[in-house]
Amino acid sequence: MRPRLRKFVLTAHVVASVGWLGAVAVFLALAVVGLTSQEAQVVRAVYLAMEPAGWFVLVPLSLASLLSGLVQSLGTKWGLFRHHWVLIKLLINVVATIVLLMYMQTLGYLADVAAQTTSSSGDLSLLRSPSPVLHAGFGMLLLLVAATLSVYKPRGMTRYGQRKQHEQRAVSQT
Amino acid sequence: MAHSPPYPDSYRDTGDDREVEPALGSTAGAPRWVKVLGIMALVLVLLVVVLLLTGGGTHGPGRHMSSSDVGGQTPPRA
Repeated sequence: MRPRLRKFVLTAHVVASVGWLGAVAVFLALAVVGLTSQEAQVVRAVYLAMEPAGWFVLVPLSLASLLSGLVQSLGTKWGLFRHHWVLIKLLINVVATIVLLMYMQTLGYLADVAAQTTSSSGDLSLLRSPSPVLHAGFGMLLLLVAATLSVYKPRGMTRYGQRKQHEQRAVSQT
Repeated sequence: MAHSPPYPDSYRDTGDDREVEPALGSTAGAPRWVKVLGIMALVLVLLVVVLLLTGGGTHGPGRHMSSSDVGGQTPPRA
């Protein structure tokens, strides 16, 4: 990949990944408010806002992060399976994206309930769930690990990476 | 240097001088940090499994797939 294109894809990957992390942080704050607030209108508003925020912010950012990461790794010497930290980031990204896409069903359900419930305390108990807090918390943890790996790039090549390195050096010496 | 660095950004990333790969021919297993991360991930997965089991299996999007669930939780309108 040419340097200019590589920088562009790297910028896109950083923006999407950090944006995703920030969006999950906001989501976690909303989830905590939804779980703890005593104001019925606030609780309903939180669960109503979560679904569009998920579809229009979280899902696009997660897919952009995954796609730009794939392009960045496959288009450079880093490769996708050569370094442990790249491989672990890929796993984190894929798992987080799959869980997010599955969890959008739950958010849709919660939004439906929020739209249909009245403001009584009995109805609110249907909405209050620790599930969004847990999902957002685990998501943040995973994305923080991924961000840390990106910055520190800890050493360590996979067996595949070592084999490829051997092959390349053998070719360059002949 | 006689050969290109194993880490593509080694030339420009002046803030980190540790980016040197194991010597040629090294067949060492996964580094310690990978093992530590793996153990932490395993503990986390076990924790989630325990949570799922103790939660009575009511977790997950599958529980919302039935239309009767939504209908059952919808309060009657006046």
